[in-house]
Order: sequence, then structure tokens, then C-alpha cells
Amino acid sequence: MSNEMVGGLYRRDLLKLGALGVGGVSASGWMNVLAGHAAETQAKHKSCILLYMSGGPSHKDTFDLKPDSEGAGEFKPISTSAPGIQISEHLPKLAKWMHKSALLRGMSTGEGAHARAAYFLHTGYKEGQGGLTYPSLGAIASMETGNPALPIPNFVTINGGRSYGSGYLGSKHQPLNIADAKSGVANLSALVSDNQFNSRVSLLNEMEKAFHKDYSSDAGVSHQTTYQRAVTMMKSAQAKAFDISSEPSNLRSEYGSGKFGEGCLLARRLVETGVRFVEVNLGGWDTHQDNFEKVKSLSAQVDAGMSTLISDLSQRGLLDSTLIVWMGDFGRTPKINQRGPKPGRDHYPKAWTSVMVGGGIKGGQVIGKTDKQGATVEERPISTIDFMSTACGILGIDYTKSVQTPIGRPIRIVEKGANPIKELLA
Amino acid sequence: MFNQKTIFSKLMLLVLGLIIIEIANAAPPEAKEANPQSKQDKKIEDKKKERKLSKTSAKLIASKPLLASKVLSSLIDSEINKKIKEEKVTPSAKSTDAEFQRRAYLDIIGRIPSSSETKTFLEDTTSNKRVKLVDDLLADDEFGKHMADIWQALLLPRISDNRRVQTEPLTLWLENQFNVNTGWDQITKELLTSTGPQDQNGSITYFISNASVDKMTDSVSKLFLGVQLQCAQCHNHPFVDWKQNDYWGLAAFFMKVQAKPPGGKDTSSPTVSEGKGLNKNKKSLPEAAQFVPAKFLASGEATLNTAEPYRPVLANWLTSKTNPFFSKAMANRVWAQYFGKGLVDPVDDMHDGNPATHPELLETLATQFSASNFDLKFLIRSICNSETYQRSSKPNASNKETDIALLAHMPIKNMTPEQLFDSLTTVIGAASKGNQRADKNKAAKNLPKGARAQFVAFFQPEEGTSALSYETGIPQILRLMNSPQMNPPNIIQRLVDKNEDTKTSIEKIYLSILNRMPTDEESSRMTNFLSQATDKNKGLGDMVWALLNTSEFTLNH
Repeated sequence: MSNEMVGGLYRRDLLKLGALGVGGVSASGWMNVLAGHAAETQAKHKSCILLYMSGGPSHKDTFDLKPDSEGAGEFKPISTSAPGIQISEHLPKLAKWMHKSALLRGMSTGEGAHARAAYFLHTGYKEGQGGLTYPSLGAIASMETGNPALPIPNFVTINGGRSYGSGYLGSKHQPLNIADAKSGVANLSALVSDNQFNSRVSLLNEMEKAFHKDYSSDAGVSHQTTYQRAVTMMKSAQAKAFDISSEPSNLRSEYGSGKFGEGCLLARRLVETGVRFVEVNLGGWDTHQDNFEKVKSLSAQVDAGMSTLISDLSQRGLLDSTLIVWMGDFGRTPKINQRGPKPGRDHYPKAWTSVMVGGGIKGGQVIGKTDKQGATVEERPISTIDFMSTACGILGIDYTKSVQTPIGRPIRIVEKGANPIKELLA
Repeated sequence: MFNQKTIFSKLMLLVLGLIIIEIANAAPPEAKEANPQSKQDKKIEDKKKERKLSKTSAKLIASKPLLASKVLSSLIDSEINKKIKEEKVTPSAKSTDAEFQRRAYLDIIGRIPSSSETKTFLEDTTSNKRVKLVDDLLADDEFGKHMADIWQALLLPRISDNRRVQTEPLTLWLENQFNVNTGWDQITKELLTSTGPQDQNGSITYFISNASVDKMTDSVSKLFLGVQLQCAQCHNHPFVDWKQNDYWGLAAFFMKVQAKPPGGKDTSSPTVSEGKGLNKNKKSLPEAAQFVPAKFLASGEATLNTAEPYRPVLANWLTSKTNPFFSKAMANRVWAQYFGKGLVDPVDDMHDGNPATHPELLETLATQFSASNFDLKFLIRSICNSETYQRSSKPNASNKETDIALLAHMPIKNMTPEQLFDSLTTVIGAASKGNQRADKNKAAKNLPKGARAQFVAFFQPEEGTSALSYETGIPQILRLMNSPQMNPPNIIQRLVDKNEDTKTSIEKIYLSILNRMPTDEESSRMTNFLSQATDKNKGLGDMVWALLNTSEFTLNH
């Protein structure tokens, strides 16, 4: 069956909508259809929502508390839904989801400067290595598991921050950046009425045709294709996923009213529509000064956004097919520094914690262990490539596969020597 | 087979052993040079010499007398036409004046012509107007600006370490060098050897943006020698005969350079200096670092005086007329800039396994560029006045399916972000004052300065993207189609006069955006389109929007 566009919807989807009697295409109607469709296709490949904490969160004040250590800090540990696992008192809602979560307390990643660390953790390669620009996990997921027929990109980033893009994989897998979840995609709507826009586009198509008849070229063909994709996206039903205003107000307030909560809500809508990889950024974790006040307030945002995201996905039957990853640049020093009136903690890549939830992993467990001070990893150290290979494995990506760079150099998705965390797979 | 393998692995162990000893002693190169070579060293040296016989094309460029630019243009044509004939292909017709003018503007000064510039050229009836246009454009200050855009992007890698590097001092320096037509050897020498604070010498920006021995080695070999050595940093190159020794021999020249961050005693600018001592900070070197004697690429060891800076020794070799790589590398890069693809492609991967499509032509261009004392305007003028460059990009039935590198028709190139921005502003006008002020505030937050820099950052393709492919993404296209900045409301008043007839307005819009007159067919189609519009301005607005979003506007054809 042909799957051409009809009024912004694929014929296949239209037929489905018709069959279900949602010809009026109410927002909730088509969203449900799409959600069902997504659940169907996601059986093979999973989606991923990366909650990236720019600046590097303090592990000792979030997920690896050491109450009796030197530099223990002010926060108290609380019990969680997973027996024996304790986390910070400022993450009470998240504590109720620990039975679905795995804490990776053995992270040990080497890079201690923000940008280099973020690059390494996003791509699995050190910046500048071998003179290449490497793709980040989102671009890899877009290439390996993305649905090419989706009228919106398979890799979306929210709230700025750097996602490190698609590197040598090229523009097709570049992320669509959403600066602010509340305002959606920049320039998504036309400056003129639908009618006038359609008439402009058909005039454009006419001129394109005439030009290409005489001057056929590769550049011209992909110019046309990309314009078609952009226009299709503007008119597509899926683009409505970018509009969070249609969500009920009580759910919106559960997510939290800040940019992070809104980003998490948008991430859910996108995953539901079939987007494979969404990255939501939360900055402010570089707490050299005033660590405790800042971590407390950031924890509140994470607690609301992330726990609501988990429960929302769970209610929609999407949690097992969606991996949520929480991580930052690195951890922070086990000791509290002595600078300024409100001291803080400094960069610490040697031992820290990241969190994985959903995606079909075995929850309620802690992988790796730090010493009494939270300073060194005593059990199951997790390197950056261990981490990358694990994430790839969960998402259904063969991390040992080699990809050709534009000059024909074969590069593995994850470098040799990775030791993925097998305990996570249920 | 087994035996060979054993011998090979023993030899490898021996080499490894030597490397380890070398690293353990951390003998500075010059100290080693003064010592008599051990027998084992000698053996390895002999092996290397043997290998050199099979080494990558490192033939010296024969020195030849300088030809007139016109003669070089016809040599270009005879080489290109020879191959077209061999392939039994019919080349496309000569470009129309309009095609040629638009292409020359974009390629030489980086923007499309304005409507009045278009009109003047099209109405000019003198027979040598194309030659004159090339000369005029080369003499225009926008030539230097365009070249500086291209070279700034190449010299300053877009990596996180460079977020805070001020780019403007380098841009201004380059712009001036290209406009006064400083020889490429002199520009290169200055980039490679300059010292001092950035506010006094913009050219040091190159070093501070590549401020480690390995980054500098990668960059210099790619940009000025046209070879990719980076694989040989950690292991011998898998396809090409580059050894780790070649890499670290070249890297040895950068071991004494230091970049100081801003905020010193004498200047608030970052500063580059080349001290007496070696840069002992091993942390700044990759794990694979080796300390070997400084060596010119495929051309033997260098004699260095420890009391003197090393980089000038490298720069003198690198820019000399006898260097087998230097002139070829730049001639090939300039060719790629004008035809979208180098005679050797990729431009920074020249080796025996990747030959030029037209080897004799590359040889000729390189010898002539060298004979002209690396005169860029001479090289560009010769290219632009060739029949090859002035061919239409419209393929014919005979050459439609042939390899683009045959140049039976002109390849169609994508614009760089700078070309697109400058062309758009040629049509729609520069950003208003208000906008510029908003940009200033953002600059304070480490965002690129100004509307142009922001646009360029947003439209920047990935490194290594071919000029012949269109890789612009959906967010960029959404901006072109739907952002008010790209579609200012006053555009119609800017382009047409409300008292003139429809036909004149249509012509003016075509001249402004596509730099040509509309065909009769187009003219009547547009007249018809406008007659259906509820009001004329609305119709004209639709037409302008459509034209600005066409391939014909966006591509350099």
C-alpha cells in the first residue's frame, strides 16, 4: 500500500484513524492511536530518555550517601521501595520507584573537565581522539533504531546543554534542539495562514521542478527532500507532540513547573509518538560553592520530574520499552572544600553514581560499590565504555558493530574493551 | 609464513623495546642526535631508508618558469578537455553571463551580486567583461573576507576547548593578508611561527586553538601538507606508508611552544611563546607520545639548535619551493574551493593510493603556484578565466551520468553558511540596529557575536561535509521558511517600486534573488499568479518567499 501524505497524515495512519472512528482527530484520539502504534514497534527497539545533569551532581548528596564519613554533608539517607537501598531525603518520590531502578555506584570515568567529560560520556570517545568528531548516543540510536518514516527527527534534545550531535554520522541524525519545552520547536509554524502557506509551497514546488529538470544534481535532490521533510513535519499530526499545553494541569504540576519538569513531560510525549531518543538537560550542578542549598533545590526538580516521568510512562505501558538514564559530567569530591562562606564540592570523576530506570532492566539493585568515604570504587568499576555498551545493549543496539566514517574508516560504535553490566538484564 | 611472522614479531618487539627505552630516558631529540647511533639504531634507520623507496609520492616539484595567467588557464582546459575527449563525452555549453556572474561573485567574494550589480554586468556589452569582472572581484575587499571565513573555519577547530577563544583577531589578520595578497608561503610561515600576545598579533590564534603538540601536528599536516597523519599518532597508518615515527618526528617541532592563558603581567591577551626548554609536561601529550628526532615529513631529519626556536626550521622547510607537499596541497585546496571537489579528494588525504583525477594538471598548478611565489590571486584568476570554470552547470544528454570530476559540466555546490547569510542579506537587507544590540547582550554569555556569527553557527555543517552535498537540517530549513528575521515585512518595498507595472516588479525580483531575467514562460506564470492574489503585495510576498527558498537561490550553480 502506498504511504503518501494526505493532508499531513500518512495514508496508513488515516486509515487507522478512520477505522477507530476518530475522523475528527481530537488530540487525545490520535495520540492514543499513535501510542498504540509506538508500543507495537517498540517491542524490538527501545526508546531512551537521557536526563543529563550538566555540571556534575554530587553523588554523596544524591544516590550514594555516606552518613558516617568525613565530608558526609547535611543530608540524611531514607529507605526506598527497594529493600536495603537508601537515597537522599530530598528524593522522596523517586524513592518509591527504586524497585524499578538500578543505581550504578561504580562509575569511574577519568575526565574531570566539564566539556571533555560530557563529550566522553555522550559519545564513548575522548574528544579529539583520532581526529574525528564522534556521534553521541542519541545519534547512534537514531541511526540504529530510529523509524525513518517518522516525520519528526528521531533524536530530540530539550533545554539546551550540549548533546554533541551526530558527528561523522551526518545531518540526518542531528538532534532537533528545543530550547524551551514550553515554546516547542522554533519556527514550526508558518508566518502566514495555512492557505497562503500551501500556495507558497506549491509555487515553490513548481519552480523546483523546473530548475531540476535542467540542473539535476545531488545537492538539489537533497535540498528538495529536506524541504519536503520540513514541510511534512510542520503539517504532521506528530508535530503536535511538541505542544505540551494540551496536557492536563494536574499532571503538569506533578511534573513540576520548571523547565526540567516541562522537558520531562515533552520527552514522554515524544517517546509516545515514536521518537527514539530524547535528552533533557538540567544544569546548575557545578556546586563548588553553596553545595547543599543548590543540591537540595535541584533534587526537588529531579524528584518531581523524574518520578512523574516514570509513573506516567508506567501508566501508559511504556516504561518497559523506555530506558531512563540519569547522569552528569562526573561526581563531586567526597570532602567538602573550605572555600568561601558557603563551601561546596569540586569535580570528581573517580567514583560516582548514575541511575537507570525502565527499559526492561532488572530494578531494585545497586551495581558497584564505593568505599566508606565515597572516594574510590571498591566493587565493579564502570568505565565510560562499560556504561555506553550497557546502554546500547538495553536499547537493542549492537555496540560491537563498526560504522564507516565518510572517508571510509571503520569505527566501532563502542571501542574495544568494554565490559557491559550483565546484571542489569533481567 | 610462520617464520616470517616470528621474525616480524621479533622485530616489532625490538622496536617496542627501543621505544620504551627512549621514553624511559626521555632523551630530548637534540641530545640523541649528538650521540653516535648505536648499531641497533642504525639497523632500524637502514630499514626506514629501504622503506622510503616505496614511500608516498614525495617527488620534488620541478621548478619551472612562471607562465602568464592566460596560458595557465588554457593549460587547465587542455588537461580537462583531454580526459573529456578520452571518455567520449560532450562538454556542456559555456555558461550564460548571468550564470557566470553569480558563480564568480559567490566563489570569489562570497555572496550573490545585488540587483544593480547584476543589471550593470548583464547590460555591459564589452567583449572582455568576464576577465574584468574576475579582476574587479579579486581587487574587492570582500575577497579577503570570504577567504578569511574559509580559513578561519579550517584553522580553528570547533571544539569545546575553543569556546572562549576570540576569533576576531585571526579573522581580521587573515582578511588583510588575503586582500594585500601576501604569498601563501608567508602567510603559512607567520601562522606557524608567530609569538606574542593575541591583541598584537592575530595569527597566534592558530596556535592557541590547537594548543597541544598532537593537535598542531594533525592540523599542520592536513592544512599545509595535504596529508592525514593522525592515524600514525598511535599506530602505523593502516593504508598509507606513514609510520609513528613520521608523526612524532613532525610533532617534535612543537615540543617547545607554549600558550599562556589571558591575564599575564604585561597583557590581558593570551600569549604564545617558544621557550628554550622542551615542554616537559607529559600530561599534555597523548599516551602514545614518542620522543624522536625532529624530522621533515618524508624528507629526512632536521638539524636543530636547542638554543633556538624549532618552529621556524619547520616553517622554512614547509614553505620552501622544494617541499613536495606544500604547493600541491594549496593548489588542490583552491581547486576544491572553486569546483567543489579537489583533484585529489579528500583534499587532506593525498597519497599514492589516492591519486589525483588529473595528475598532470595538479602538477602544473602546483609548479605554477610555486613559480608565482605562491600568489593566490594569480592561481584564482587562472582558474576563473578557464573555459572549464566557465562551463554551464546544466548537464547535457551526453554528460549527465558521467563522473562529476570529469568537469564536463560545472558541479553544483552548496553555499557555506557565510555565503548563504551574506547572500540573504544582499536581498533582504542587514539586520536592524535593534537586533545588533540584542546580539551584544548575548555575546556576554559566550554566544557567538552578532547575527552573522549566530546564523553561521546554526547552519554550520559537520566537518568534512562535501561542498557538493546539501546537508542542511530541518531546524535550519524551518528558520529559512518561517522566521521573521529571514522574512522581513518590508522586503517588498525594498525590492520593488509600488508605482511600476507588474512585469517590471517580477523582473526586479528575479534580478535580486536569482540574478537573472525571468524567462517569458516564468514571467507569464508569475503574472498569472499575481493576478490571482487578493492584493498585489501579498502575491509579491508569496513570490519572494518561494524564490528565496528555491534550490536555484540556495545553491551555487
